[in-house]
Amino acid sequence: MNNKTVIISCAGIGSRLGRNMPKALVPVDGKPMIIRTLELLDNVNDVRVVVGYQAEKVIEVVNSYRRDVTFVFNHDYLNNGTGASVSLAMQYAKEFILTIDGDIIIHPSDMEEILKMNTEFVGVCEIGTDNPVLTKVKDNKVIAFSREKGEFEWTGVTLLKTKRVNKTEGHVYFMIEPLLPLDYKLIRLKEIDTPNDYEMALKWVKNNYR
Amino acid sequence: MKKIFLFDLDSTITKEEILPSISKSINKEDEMRKLTEMTMMGEISFEESFKSRVDMLKDIPVSEVAEKISNISLNQELVKFLNKHKDICYIVTGNLDVWIDKLMKKIGMENNYFCSKASVSNNKITKISKILQKDEVVAKFKDYIVAIGDGSNDYKLLEKANLGVAFGGVRNIAPSLLEVCDYAIYDEKRLAEFLERLIEE
Repeated sequence: MNNKTVIISCAGIGSRLGRNMPKALVPVDGKPMIIRTLELLDNVNDVRVVVGYQAEKVIEVVNSYRRDVTFVFNHDYLNNGTGASVSLAMQYAKEFILTIDGDIIIHPSDMEEILKMNTEFVGVCEIGTDNPVLTKVKDNKVIAFSREKGEFEWTGVTLLKTKRVNKTEGHVYFMIEPLLPLDYKLIRLKEIDTPNDYEMALKWVKNNYR
Repeated sequence: MKKIFLFDLDSTITKEEILPSISKSINKEDEMRKLTEMTMMGEISFEESFKSRVDMLKDIPVSEVAEKISNISLNQELVKFLNKHKDICYIVTGNLDVWIDKLMKKIGMENNYFCSKASVSNNKITKISKILQKDEVVAKFKDYIVAIGDGSNDYKLLEKANLGVAFGGVRNIAPSLLEVCDYAIYDEKRLAEFLERLIEE
């Protein structure tokens, strides 16, 4: 498990949700999303949280759960994307990077499986959000990302060999595209972009992830 | 490219604030702590505050201050790192040469530190002859600079370094530092591990 650096991106503003706080700090069933993610990563020693918008608040909440997280600063978060956050955080990382967006909740059993994996994959889920990035699949491999068509939705979760990844300023999937085709892994998760997503995620968590 | 590591001393290498802990012995701790706090938060300039803090302690024999400073508790994981990588590590502190020389020797950094300087006569400080500007130190090297610090007087040091790490293991990182650092780490062991990774690559 400790051949992985886990990168959680929490730098963005998340304005579509309309809360005055980083999305990772929004409580779902009484607990900030970032804490829900950290609880699944107790056995990972190299956890990196990328901060930008309201960095101090994010740091305070994370430190209240564990003190040994490495915070990576994306000072230019207003002008760049999650890919830039990952690019910053993957410097000096372990053999693999596992990327996770700060605004998702992953099914605990799926996270457990993910942490045991030692081959690269693209994390996908059933299509569910309003404006998804889709993945095209052929012969059980992801062959492309697309805004128009695809079998699954891209999740922001991916396990990649650190040395193979090139930096980007844009989306995380830009970093994956040159590496395709890659295996995919179907993950049960909720992404929270809008108030509607939030209600769905809340229901899901309260109903024991069903 | 070769990497050089520049470490702040106070509450980065040491586990407590040096001057406030010295001021205990002359019952000026409150006054000193207040000044130190204001300086670390950037409310008064380092030069101004450092002069008044030295002034507060100037009646204590220099050798006594040096002795006390050499016994201050330290972040051992970081001291281990310094010792292991002696050739590429330096201490950068606004503190005075005559006060910290013993501590520098104790942690094996006697030839690897940049600091402020004072003249001494009869075991008493007579004059501060130089106050160190931390960012000047960065310019002395042509290498890739990694700087580690916690207070607002480390702002320029971290800003000018190629890679700035704010360390919050002893006290809260100064808010201004969070605006220029590349990383913030709050656990001593994690910091030591991270710095090791920087050397490996």
